[in-house]
Amino acid sequence: MAAPLELSCWGGGWGLPSVHSESLVVMAYAKFSGAPLKVNVIDNTWRGSRGDVPILTTEDNVVSQPAKILNFLRKQKYNADYELSAKQGADTLAYIALLEEKLLPAVLHTFWVESDNYFTVTKPWFASQIPFPLSLILPGRMSRGALNRILLTRGQPPLYHLREVEAQIYRDAKECLNLLSNRLGTSQFFFGNTPSTLDAYVFGFLAPLYKVRFPKIQLQEHLKQLSNLCRFCDDILSSYFRISLGDG
Amino acid sequence: MSLVAEAFVSQIAGKVPFIHVGNQVVSELGPIVQFVKAKGHSLSDGLDEVQKAEMKAYMELVNNMLLTAELYLQWCDEATVGEITHARYGSPYPWPLNHILAYQKQWEIKRKMKAIGWGKKTLDQVLEDVDQCCQALSQRLGTQPYFFNKQPTELDALVFGHLYTILTTQLTNDELSEKVKNYSNLLAFCRRIEQHYFEDRGKGRLS
Repeated sequence: MAAPLELSCWGGGWGLPSVHSESLVVMAYAKFSGAPLKVNVIDNTWRGSRGDVPILTTEDNVVSQPAKILNFLRKQKYNADYELSAKQGADTLAYIALLEEKLLPAVLHTFWVESDNYFTVTKPWFASQIPFPLSLILPGRMSRGALNRILLTRGQPPLYHLREVEAQIYRDAKECLNLLSNRLGTSQFFFGNTPSTLDAYVFGFLAPLYKVRFPKIQLQEHLKQLSNLCRFCDDILSSYFRISLGDG
Repeated sequence: MSLVAEAFVSQIAGKVPFIHVGNQVVSELGPIVQFVKAKGHSLSDGLDEVQKAEMKAYMELVNNMLLTAELYLQWCDEATVGEITHARYGSPYPWPLNHILAYQKQWEIKRKMKAIGWGKKTLDQVLEDVDQCCQALSQRLGTQPYFFNKQPTELDALVFGHLYTILTTQLTNDELSEKVKNYSNLLAFCRRIEQHYFEDRGKGRLS
């Protein structure tokens, strides 16, 4: 009997099981691979202060970061990729790299750096999930972390100012969304008829962007025009998460 | 077309010092591609939309894993930093500027590593990532001469640039180049490009 697997992650809203991309990636993968996860949503009793979420705990292990958690689950024989060919496995790694380099900066910006979005939606939501005084500290820390990541990875010569970086990262993100839409076409999932790791990652990155109601929505608008990607997210939500829409 | 490809690939591989090749593979690739496009050629012109998406994805994989691993090895592995990188980076400058600049660069790189989640990685984990990346590249290449069959594209140039650098640069340990050497088709790929485009420049360095 496998040791119980517990996942600590950020909670849901706007019809999603979680509004946090990385948490969502892990939750989706667990559903696809049949891993029995006990999900512990962060709430007022949470005592962790590092914001290092999602975290998987078993009897003798604590694993953080989605890639490591997915690796761990695979080693426990919860493998959503066993039907993939070697080339498809390689493509998975490549597309995940594409998501992290081209889409993630703009998603981080939309949630954590764009002031209207951050102050009216993101910050209040995250602050409401955790106890005082962490609620005063952690959202700010996550926001600074996001800005840091964007500037350190994309703010290189000849782009020096945040404004120029902003323009570039949104251009890249829109191109990435177009590429994903082209690649998905009319298929249900990215590789055949069963969902795999790549589907978990794409879902994790896209669903919050698709569903969370923001004031500043240029990337969201672009995503909504790519109907196959929206259908992809809705299908996964209704098949694997059975959440009633109209939450939050 | 082949002249363009030759100029393209040779621009990248022509720089010898490890540090600069590592940085310049990326920074020079962009302007060269723009230049080539402006002349009415693009190496990836023959690809359809899905293939172009795949090519871009694999280029990000190379940037994400190989380039970051190279930077890690140069700047976060204490042995390499102490014996090679520090001295090389600071060599154009007089004391104490050489030390100051080298430390500053190291600090910058470490910050970046931390921001993308590589801060806590050990050398073994980094080597494992490189292995995974090489495995993916090897599987994608298969038995084809280039990544998109008969014609070289930007991806081939990028992969060649990085793998060539890894294979031909002396470091304190050979583990990085050993990882690449495990994949015979990648080795053959590098040799083939070296012979095809550089044979008139004397003996190849990959033997």
